[in-house]
Amino acid sequence: MIAARVPSDLRLALGRTIVGQEGVIEALLLALLANGHVLLEGPPGLAKTLACRALAAALEGDFKRIQFTPDLLPSDIVGTRIFDQRESAFATVLGPIFANVVLADEINRAPAKVQSALLEAMQERQVTIGPQSYALPDPFVVMATMNPLDSEGTYALPIAQMDRFLMKVRVGYPSREEELGILERFAVTDTQPVRAVATLDDVRAWRAQAHAVHIDEKLKRYIVELVARTRDAGAVSVSSETAAPLRVAELIDYGASPRATLALAFLARGRALLDGRDFALPDDVRAVANHALRHRIGFNYRLAVEGVSPERVIDAIVASVPAP
Amino acid sequence: MVRRSAARVILAALLCGAAAASARAQTLQRLTVESFALSTDQGTPKAGAVFHLTVALNVRERVSSIENLDLPMLAQLDLLGDERQTVSGPRGTQYRETIAVSAPNGGPIAVAPATLQAIDARDGKAKQWYTNGLTLHVVATASSVLQTGAQPFFAALWFALRALLWLIAAISVVLLAVVLFRRRRAPAPLLVAAAHPMPVTPPERSRRQHAEDALTVLAAERTRAAAVVVRGAIWRMVGAAEGETLGDVLGRPQSKDLTMRGLLIALERSAFTYDDDLSGAIEDACAALRRYIDAAA
Repeated sequence: MIAARVPSDLRLALGRTIVGQEGVIEALLLALLANGHVLLEGPPGLAKTLACRALAAALEGDFKRIQFTPDLLPSDIVGTRIFDQRESAFATVLGPIFANVVLADEINRAPAKVQSALLEAMQERQVTIGPQSYALPDPFVVMATMNPLDSEGTYALPIAQMDRFLMKVRVGYPSREEELGILERFAVTDTQPVRAVATLDDVRAWRAQAHAVHIDEKLKRYIVELVARTRDAGAVSVSSETAAPLRVAELIDYGASPRATLALAFLARGRALLDGRDFALPDDVRAVANHALRHRIGFNYRLAVEGVSPERVIDAIVASVPAP
Repeated sequence: MVRRSAARVILAALLCGAAAASARAQTLQRLTVESFALSTDQGTPKAGAVFHLTVALNVRERVSSIENLDLPMLAQLDLLGDERQTVSGPRGTQYRETIAVSAPNGGPIAVAPATLQAIDARDGKAKQWYTNGLTLHVVATASSVLQTGAQPFFAALWFALRALLWLIAAISVVLLAVVLFRRRRAPAPLLVAAAHPMPVTPPERSRRQHAEDALTVLAAERTRAAAVVVRGAIWRMVGAAEGETLGDVLGRPQSKDLTMRGLLIALERSAFTYDDDLSGAIEDACAALRRYIDAAA
């Protein structure tokens, strides 16, 4: 039942290019299995773009990279209609969004107008140019990167678009051993090109398997309770670096949407499949909770004032809901 | 049939233990135990007839609930219901738990003491209290004899002896009068033993015994609900608190043993796998329990 090529070939192919960053590699695979889009956030130089490129190269599909800049236009992404003088008619030129894997690099450097061009593509998996809608290829995955350190020349992503990302992954610095590995591998040679190890049919088959992974009734209730707790945290509290424990409810303006419920279920199924199981466990849900919730909860200014990270708040919420 | 009813009782006992153990994992109550006793309303119940066991606890403190009270394992009785009552007042708290049971077969039945774990408010030490035990003498009835597979011969014999019963009944009236007379003179209860809060070192039930109980339940009740209860019991055995996940439990020192890890993983599967796989998952869990029992021998 379990496709051996997901954890072995594809993961190995990515591991040959990226040193460490196991969490990022797993997140990319989860997004692929769960048919969702992924937002990678981290400082420059942490192989975010490289990871996306490596995954695209490991699949036998079309890959397009869009470098988001302040002067980008929606038509630069989705395409446009141009007048063909020889035919005396308008012809449609499809944009770079028409690919299996789309890397939206530095997505927060384009204004909201451009980012909104992605909304229809990410949710409906189609693009409307002029009077006509065009279906995007299947599979279609948007992998976006953003740098949290620069504030100048960047724009906040619209809430509606953030919600469309199945998961947001924080990319951290490598350990000393991993950095030593990076030094040994890339200091003398260039990046190893990744060979394609899986076809698009493989991806579709894996998705079907992930979709068939069983989620027990107890686990469904657990997921619903977790998401509900983001909207009504009750007496849940989190320790603060500057003051007494803070009530989580005072740090949250709005909780996660029902998309978060679906995202937790999809990601838990994907993780179970990666682990070789055809049923999901509470551990799967807990492992993906931060990925699915951190960009869907509206935190207010007090979070930054009190020096509390969103992850700590989510961990407190998760800890407050007993696993089945 | 007997095996299934025994399993039901153990299952109920495991369920009762669940609430207590979750609280135990948090903290013990601080109590001044004044009396703690186990009694029955019928010392010689008839087979198949409903009778009651009562656990009564008096403590000096005013508390809203009593935690960490474990009922005895009633393996030879069918559990029919359970009612708890907690009354708090200026003079403390009276806790009373009444269990409706019936005995499927005749013969003597030993009921083990109920236990309570708490911090003794007198000296601040964690202790375990025991009630008295009970010995019931269940009278076999014709129907129970027939139900337990006796030949029709016994039924015929029973009906032939019914006439004699009237004679015995007359003698019993005389004996009852004597007993009542003796009771008035010596008011010490026949079945309710003196309830002294005696802190004693508890005879720990071994992990192997817990695993054997779990196997009895799971082998007899091959359902998801039974698997979940057994999973909870085994988790508590390794010190897991309520709400933990398998990852948390496997990280505990008590779970380092490979046989135990295999058992925990098998039970997790039986609790969460899909329905078509449930039978196989429970079979694997039973096999893992047997391996654990063998290894613990």
